[in-house]
Amino acid sequence: MKSESIIISNLSKKFTFPVKNKSNSWIKNLFKPEIREVVAVNNISFSVKSGERIAFIGPNGAGKSTTIKMLTGILYPTSGKASVLGLDPVKDRKKLAYQIGTVFGQRSQLLPNLPLTDSLEFFGVMYDMTEEQIQSRIIELTKLFELESFIDQPVRKLSLGQRMRAEVAASLIHKPKIILLDEPTIGLDVVAKKTLRDLLLKINKEEGTTIFLTSHDVGDIESLCDRTIIINHGIVIKDMPTEDLSTSFIFEKYIDLIPMTRFESFHELPEGMKYVLKGANKITITVDSNKISVQKSLKKLLEIFEVEDIDVYNADLETVIRHIYERN
Amino acid sequence: MLKEIKFALYAIKKNIQSSAELRTSFLMNVFGMMINNTAFIILWIYFIKSVGIIGGWTPADIVGLQGFLALSYGIIFSFGNGIRWLPEYVSSGGFDRFMLSPKNLLSRIATSSFNSSAIGDITFGIICLVVYALLIHTSFYQILVLLLLVIFSTIIFLAFSIVVFSTSFFFVDSGSVTSGFFELFITPSLFHGGAFQGAMRFIFTFILPSLLVGTLPVEAIKDMSILKLSVVGLFSFIWMFISIKVFNKAVKKYESSNFMTFGN
Repeated sequence: MKSESIIISNLSKKFTFPVKNKSNSWIKNLFKPEIREVVAVNNISFSVKSGERIAFIGPNGAGKSTTIKMLTGILYPTSGKASVLGLDPVKDRKKLAYQIGTVFGQRSQLLPNLPLTDSLEFFGVMYDMTEEQIQSRIIELTKLFELESFIDQPVRKLSLGQRMRAEVAASLIHKPKIILLDEPTIGLDVVAKKTLRDLLLKINKEEGTTIFLTSHDVGDIESLCDRTIIINHGIVIKDMPTEDLSTSFIFEKYIDLIPMTRFESFHELPEGMKYVLKGANKITITVDSNKISVQKSLKKLLEIFEVEDIDVYNADLETVIRHIYERN
Repeated sequence: MLKEIKFALYAIKKNIQSSAELRTSFLMNVFGMMINNTAFIILWIYFIKSVGIIGGWTPADIVGLQGFLALSYGIIFSFGNGIRWLPEYVSSGGFDRFMLSPKNLLSRIATSSFNSSAIGDITFGIICLVVYALLIHTSFYQILVLLLLVIFSTIIFLAFSIVVFSTSFFFVDSGSVTSGFFELFITPSLFHGGAFQGAMRFIFTFILPSLLVGTLPVEAIKDMSILKLSVVGLFSFIWMFISIKVFNKAVKKYESSNFMTFGN
């Protein structure tokens, strides 16, 4: 039976900041400003088993990064408890650092002016590894992450894709049990994204590393994570296997119509049916099966339009996630 | 403890290597700072020659004062230059990576940056102290006291810097506040020691430690004053204790942010 890597119970984080009150004088605003409170994370609870691959997603400002920062000991929770590998991230921050790896897509941890090898060595020394351990791990990671072609280049001269591979490799130098990644594929092209996802899958399979990632990229979630936790306004709104997520809006069907010649006019549709795309060469319609059956809607469409081809399909994951965000 | 020291030394080595990668700016910084300091000392010597001895301070003492200051400043802001970056780390969220390190937070921050121009200060400080020792014909005992005072003075410099730059955890845009506090400390310390008497001497010794880093060490050597040596030594420990307490309390205020940064 797999043990719990992360246990979060009733975790909250509030931030306070001064705000200017327009009805007050500037002197009052300067010396006695109003204090506004923002609840970034609101009483969330969940747990993660070792070896799991978790997508922790939500719109901007939902509380994803704040949660990751509380899990790593960067931020102090306002209330509630977090336990990572049995350690309290606040009290045991240094001990925990030996067992976790972190990657922040928007923030590099590497030494910019020195070759990549120096950064890898630097992290190895930081984690109290011996010279032999460092060198053998660098060889392993170089092979795994295909770093050979740029390992001797100064980090500032690497492309974004190369740099992200290097960031992940550096965060794995000490063989952490969990890797927490905050938007690791941000700004990467499709090839670099795929490479990085494949590598993360590989280290999960080969080294059993638990993966906990935040991302706005549906591809990261679909291809990498077996479980998705959705957070919005600091509250966990969904926590389910990723494959179940795409069927959670199964009542909404999409119908594509391809015309015999061209679509000229777009008639009004009955309740439960809506145009998504009105084109001369293609029409896309959504059908809410709670209001109208797919059979009835197809019949209606065939009465209105002369079509050459019809395609009926479920909403893709991106649409599902957008719906979930919008509903909250 | 040993692992902490080993890593701190390793981080300093990497910083020097990183800085030396940009060779031209490294060399220009080192020599530029030495020229700057020499100009400053010439100015003071001409000043004393014009107005005579003030409060018992001779041109040799000015050389000693500049030596203490340049050396302690140089040691802290070359090898421990990361302390000066604390406001930037805090406001940009770059401080996150230190919180993720398994090493001592203060030591990790201090050794996160290296300032090559401060090597010029170190070289200049050593030259000044050697010249000072020759000018006042120091005894072996005075040389030992001088070395001890360099350590105390460096500790006070470091501790006060930690206190000042830790205020960045309490303000949103702390850059101007911290540099203002730091100027308030450093400017009087560069002044002719004889100019500080009575209340001024009390304020700049016991409230702001400006005179503890240069003036009192020079006076302790030339007057062979055990009292002044003890005051500097005692306050170096008090300031270090205060600085660690202030820093640990301030870190709890850290709120992080999401500005894009490049680390080291």
